[in-house]
Amino acid sequence: MFDLPLSTTLLVFGFPAFWILYTFGFLFLTRNWRREESNPKDGR
Amino acid sequence: MSSTVLIFLVLYFAVVLGIGFWAMRRGAGGDLESFLLGGRRIGPLVTALTLQSTSMSGFMFLGAGALGYVEGYWGLWYAAGDIGGGVVNMSVIGRRMRKLSELTGSLTPIEYLEKRYPSPAIRLIAGGLTVFMLGSYVLAQFIAGGKGMALVTGLPYSVALLLAVGIILLYTYLGGYLAVAYTDFFQSLVMVIGVLWILTAALVEVGGLGAANRAIAELEPSLLSIWGRDLGYQGQWGVALGAVLIFSVGYMGWPHVVTRHMAMSRPTTARKAGAYATFWNLLFVPAPYIVGILAVLILPELADPEMAIFAVAQKLLPAAVTGVVMAAIMAAIMSTADSLLLQTGSIAARDLYERFFDPNASQKRMVLVSRLMVLAIGVVGYLVALIQPPTVFQVVIFVTSVLGSAFFPAYVCAVWWRRANTPGALASIIAGASVSFVWQLIGLESASGLHPMVAGLTASISSMIVVSLATQKRSPVPQRIRDLMTEAARLGPAAEPS
Repeated sequence: MFDLPLSTTLLVFGFPAFWILYTFGFLFLTRNWRREESNPKDGR
Repeated sequence: MSSTVLIFLVLYFAVVLGIGFWAMRRGAGGDLESFLLGGRRIGPLVTALTLQSTSMSGFMFLGAGALGYVEGYWGLWYAAGDIGGGVVNMSVIGRRMRKLSELTGSLTPIEYLEKRYPSPAIRLIAGGLTVFMLGSYVLAQFIAGGKGMALVTGLPYSVALLLAVGIILLYTYLGGYLAVAYTDFFQSLVMVIGVLWILTAALVEVGGLGAANRAIAELEPSLLSIWGRDLGYQGQWGVALGAVLIFSVGYMGWPHVVTRHMAMSRPTTARKAGAYATFWNLLFVPAPYIVGILAVLILPELADPEMAIFAVAQKLLPAAVTGVVMAAIMAAIMSTADSLLLQTGSIAARDLYERFFDPNASQKRMVLVSRLMVLAIGVVGYLVALIQPPTVFQVVIFVTSVLGSAFFPAYVCAVWWRRANTPGALASIIAGASVSFVWQLIGLESASGLHPMVAGLTASISSMIVVSLATQKRSPVPQRIRDLMTEAARLGPAAEPS
């Protein structure tokens, strides 16, 4: 892709893809954290 | 010097100062928690962006650009870890650290360590090490600011450096954490706009990424590889691994970054903040490295690679846009420098001066000590940056490797491992800092094929495990702390602080 060697393509695009999946996984696995959200302060 | 660029820079400084004054007045609660942690009222968006803009220092515009220019796509190993740094931080320690720090009544990241691993030695060693390393880290920001100012204003480096240091100190004296967090938020937006603008201009200039890569292949094909110019790092997986780890898990050992967890409005703020951080990083992190790579084609005869991004901006952009890019560069420098200075001053005042020299110090005296410390760092930093300035890349990699290696196990185990005790934490901090420090001092990276971050982390993690297990009977973790850890892990409304 973009005339890059395969290994460089994996470095450039593979890691960002991994972190996107990691973030979605984190959001999914922590969906029950809402239970903690009582008595919040005024953050935004 | 272009007056348009100057107008944009002055406008930028005025807006930042305005936000700083507004935040300072808003956060004027008078107590120390308001000053050091913004009253623990920071929401997910501001948390994510202050975390990221503090982490992304002048390094991103000088060091990252230079790395791309000199080593080509090899530099992307650093970006690969960096993109995930925020979400890793938030997902691993964010919620629990926020909760445990409030339960223990901790206001600085070093005080937090002493409350979790009860011993004055923890506070003395961790505080001393942090003040020294963060002071050195500020040095890199001064150099970056001085170089940038010199290029923009045409002033000699010595005068431009004085100007940059003066602005940074004035700005740091503005107020406490809330001012830092909200100005960081604004600056993170300026950083993204500036870097994407220059990336777009550079891509247009070279005819797109594919065309640029084909041109680079004709010039020096090894720049397209993952092993650097002339394949200088070929097969050195230990160095590549360290480059990924330093700005991903390494974040969790940086005291000025983990403070962001302690200041969140609620423990679960970490959830959304992690997602915002990833989004911002995807936009921002790879761009400076890629601009550095494209600069090989745009400015093939550049004398100082650290000036790659500045020089590309000056060559390609109209004056008004160059002003925005310069503001972005100053934003990256200042958003890190103010956090580092505030943190260093706070630790010097609360964790060293009040804790060991004057336990009854008034808040006025504490603020004075903090400000004197900031001034001392400013003067020493100016002199070092003037007399023998190292490269920004060297300083940042040195400091972040030592801090990450020293404190990563201490902060992670503080909330995740109930058997992590005081001797284990002490051994871990000392071993991690020493190994990483010596590794870089005597140049073991090229000889061993191991990045100092990997060597330091190996030493600190193994020390934490071995020493904690070996000293469980003699130094058990107090039951009170085990109970607080259980409470920090539990989902639900927090109990009253102890």
